Amino acid sequence: MKLNRRQFLESAGIATAALAAWKIPKGVLASPAPAASKVATDLPGSLGAKEVPSVCEMCFWRCPIIGKVKNGRIVKIEGNPKSPTNGHRVCARGNSGIQLIYDPDRLKYPMKRVGARGEGKWARISWKEALDEIAYNMEKTRKKYGPSSLALFDHGASAEFYRQIFKGMGTENYTNEPAFFQCMGAVSLAYVMTYGYKIAERVDMSHSKVMLFFGTHLGENAHLAQVREYVTGLQNGAKLIVVDPRFSAPANKADIWLPIRPGTDTALLLAWINYVIQNDLYDKEFVQMHCKGFNELKEGVKGYSMEWAARICDLKLHDIKKAIDMLAASRPHVAIHSGRHSAWYGRGDVQRHRCLAILTALFGAVAVPGGIYFPTSVDLGESDCVECEAPEDVEEPETSLKDNYPFASYFGSPTAEIIRATRTGKPYPIKLWGIAGVNIIHTISNPYETMDALRKLDFVFSIEILPTESATWADIVLPEANYLERYDKVYVNHDLTPYVTVRQPVVKPLFEAKSPFWIAREMAKRLKLDCFHCKSEEEYLDEELEDIDLSLAKLNKEGGLVRLKGHPYRDPNKPIKFSTDSGKIELFSGSFDDEDMDPIPKFEPILAPPKGYARLVYGRVPTHTFSRTMNNLWLHNECPEPMLWLNKEVAEKMGIKYGDRVVIVNQDGYRSANLVKVKVTPGIRPDTVYLPHGFGSRSPLLTKAYKQGVSDQFLITRYILDPFFGGSSHRTDFVKLIKDGKTLDIPELRPVPPEIPRFEIKKV
Amino acid sequence: MSQYAMVIDLHRCVGCHACALACRAEWNVPVPYHRSWVEDLGPEETSEGLSYTFFPAMCNHCDHPVCVEVCPAEPIEKEFRDPKTGKTIKMAAKATYKNPINGLVLIDKDRCLGCGACVDACPYGARYLDDTLDKPKADKCTFCVERLEHGEVPACVKTCPVDARIFGDITDKDSEVYRLVHKEGAKSLTSKEVNIGPNVYYLGKKKDIELLFKKCAPHKRTWENVKAPSRRDVLVAAIKKIRDKV
Ligand code: SF4
Ligand code: SF4
Repeated sequence: MKLNRRQFLESAGIATAALAAWKIPKGVLASPAPAASKVATDLPGSLGAKEVPSVCEMCFWRCPIIGKVKNGRIVKIEGNPKSPTNGHRVCARGNSGIQLIYDPDRLKYPMKRVGARGEGKWARISWKEALDEIAYNMEKTRKKYGPSSLALFDHGASAEFYRQIFKGMGTENYTNEPAFFQCMGAVSLAYVMTYGYKIAERVDMSHSKVMLFFGTHLGENAHLAQVREYVTGLQNGAKLIVVDPRFSAPANKADIWLPIRPGTDTALLLAWINYVIQNDLYDKEFVQMHCKGFNELKEGVKGYSMEWAARICDLKLHDIKKAIDMLAASRPHVAIHSGRHSAWYGRGDVQRHRCLAILTALFGAVAVPGGIYFPTSVDLGESDCVECEAPEDVEEPETSLKDNYPFASYFGSPTAEIIRATRTGKPYPIKLWGIAGVNIIHTISNPYETMDALRKLDFVFSIEILPTESATWADIVLPEANYLERYDKVYVNHDLTPYVTVRQPVVKPLFEAKSPFWIAREMAKRLKLDCFHCKSEEEYLDEELEDIDLSLAKLNKEGGLVRLKGHPYRDPNKPIKFSTDSGKIELFSGSFDDEDMDPIPKFEPILAPPKGYARLVYGRVPTHTFSRTMNNLWLHNECPEPMLWLNKEVAEKMGIKYGDRVVIVNQDGYRSANLVKVKVTPGIRPDTVYLPHGFGSRSPLLTKAYKQGVSDQFLITRYILDPFFGGSSHRTDFVKLIKDGKTLDIPELRPVPPEIPRFEIKKV
Repeated sequence: MSQYAMVIDLHRCVGCHACALACRAEWNVPVPYHRSWVEDLGPEETSEGLSYTFFPAMCNHCDHPVCVEVCPAEPIEKEFRDPKTGKTIKMAAKATYKNPINGLVLIDKDRCLGCGACVDACPYGARYLDDTLDKPKADKCTFCVERLEHGEVPACVKTCPVDARIFGDITDKDSEVYRLVHKEGAKSLTSKEVNIGPNVYYLGKKKDIELLFKKCAPHKRTWENVKAPSRRDVLVAAIKKIRDKV
């Protein structure tokens, strides 16, 4: 974004006013840190600052960092040079952590609601009053409705502490990470079931000869270590195949871009698997030695031809052949990226990622350079201190929220089921929520249902850093120390070069913000839970580090990070025992078969848009994380609002020009709260529109993000639950555009084949 | 004389904005100004197919800096010392000047009048007048000269997640920047109309370079119509501003 000088000056006034209102309290000093190099605060820029090693949490990739401190204030964040993944680098968000800690909108004190839920009107109270109130309500609710009437939504490192409290209270709803049900559940399950390890995303791109991305948009998704590995791979001459309805940033770097019809990825993968088997392109020796169920696979996929896939997926036969031949020619050094955010269509998500896992196995691209690789296990000690036990006399509820989903227990209770139970009282009432570190309204499909559930609760509390829209619904809000102000648990990275590091305070918490350990310990005390006995963070960290011959002090002497020896690759002459039921890679999944789920993936069509609509898809911009960073002064300035991508030919037919502003309306009649600028481009399919995720905050307390841009989340109202584990879909909504008050149909330029039924809009 | 230069490799660049933010953090550049910024280009058709690339931009430390030309500040004689050879050079320098030892285009803040002539003159929009100060001053990228003096690389170079920014002395034939410019064909952003010898170079796929030039090469000779105010005008304006504030 470039401004002319007048615009500069106009907005400059606003910026200065915001800065002036923000004063750092006196006496805020940096915490004791390992002996840094010569500290000289009078040097320009960040030169001569005191350096404290820690771990970033501007996103959840958790890069090791160095906080640079001058006069008690963080002046710069850089990567920890000791880190094998990012070294001295951090991404745009990592650089902007300073503006999270010094955001004047931060929650400063514990507060009690005085307005209606959702209004964000609070009065300041003491920590004692806030904690007493929470404990009183937790006990009261448990007594009246049973332990499982308490539910926790959590995310991030700090949540690990609060989870223990809810577990200690005996609820089955104590770890319901929206991260799994809205994001990584399908891919995690698929890879665990196939390989027995969580090796999703452990993809050795830097040593690969060909990379394959399905929707993965590294670069726009700025997870630093992965971005670095992917670009290193390209630099070393690797080829790249990108399957995405949109011409993403990696599509631009790709040798082959396959603009696939949304919802048909599994068709392409099944045809590729069949082609590889039929043409003997797979690694026979590897399959024989390490895989189970090859014959069933061969039989199961034999009907899926390349011609059929080309038609279903709306791709050119020549292109999809070229792509799979390119992969086969370089096996086993092919990096088939597992993907990360996989809650796309609800049905079929697990199987799509099973196909990726299976194709990887057929190429023998397992634990070899350039393939997927094994995590190196590190025997970290356990500290009893931060582990609470569920009370022995508590019974599981008669009807569990996990009952309908055979694999939900891996992740917790499906968020959609908690919301349903809260709204309906069925199968049992849920009356109290804790929300920690996650803006559920801007995360979980259909925010209107989430808000309805919030309205129905007896009590809800929130532990947050900023007053997000979810926090504005809380009866009590607790201000949490952010990642630059606190310890968390020991952080072990299990990748190519594993390492151990810790998050530790670079400066002391501002205002009355407290560390998650302190907050959880105070809760445990009040709820009389038999845990959190240790006095300090340092104590449990030392206990965790003891077994690998480390301590906090020793770690800090080493610059805050110690590298370990990795074992990512296999010895080709040795048998491997996979931790699946059969000890082999399960091409045929015994566990799925036991639960009457397809043991071999099948193609299930995903409903196509109704006539006049396009499918809404979303993704990331490199300057933001979810809906968490939109209020960050620097990141907001970099990207204040998203643009809606619309196909050029479609736009011409609709009379929409680049930069026009439109309203988006979905199949249920929900409209975007404000106008969005249209990016007219040939780089997206005609049946799809794309909107970066996380904008359009509804919290008036976020002075920079409030009402800035359009929210994709508030247009995601129709969702399908994943039959395996209860995840919520996010790409099953369809939209039209409204320009100058007129609702415009999206013309259909790519006809839908008869095998794919359309979604039908119910007439009311 | 040496000439510091930067090559940005668009083969590697992922458009992540880390460079822009590291710069903002290092020098506390107030929002909404920027010394280093990134623009998205495309996806758009080019003669070589679709392109979706990025324009990581900053001051070009030009060989013929038009910003220096228009600076109305009275030149005074300054002595510059080459840290390598110990030799010194004397030169008359205005508030904005090109350092004769390392080729950096810099601003002497104590002498800057805050008139904004250089801001208007730069065809790349690389400068801003920092109006958050009581007395506005021109500002822009310095290639992190202070960091260079302490043996550090520029902040943007240090943070780039994919090492897309290569920095060095382009007069040194053994340097990587020399190789990338003279052997690999990295190009600086110039046009028929505007060629003032920029020292930031771009390398990339043909299609990406085509789009970059189409969208970002300057064509307006912005400096030709810049009327630098007399020093009296500048003084009067400054006094008025202070009075308004009071
Ligand atoms: S990718 Fe960026 S935000 Fe995420 S942990 Fe790394 S530096 Fe922080
Ligand atoms: S930091 Fe590097 S990759 Fe990111 S935009 Fe800047 S030059 Fe490109």
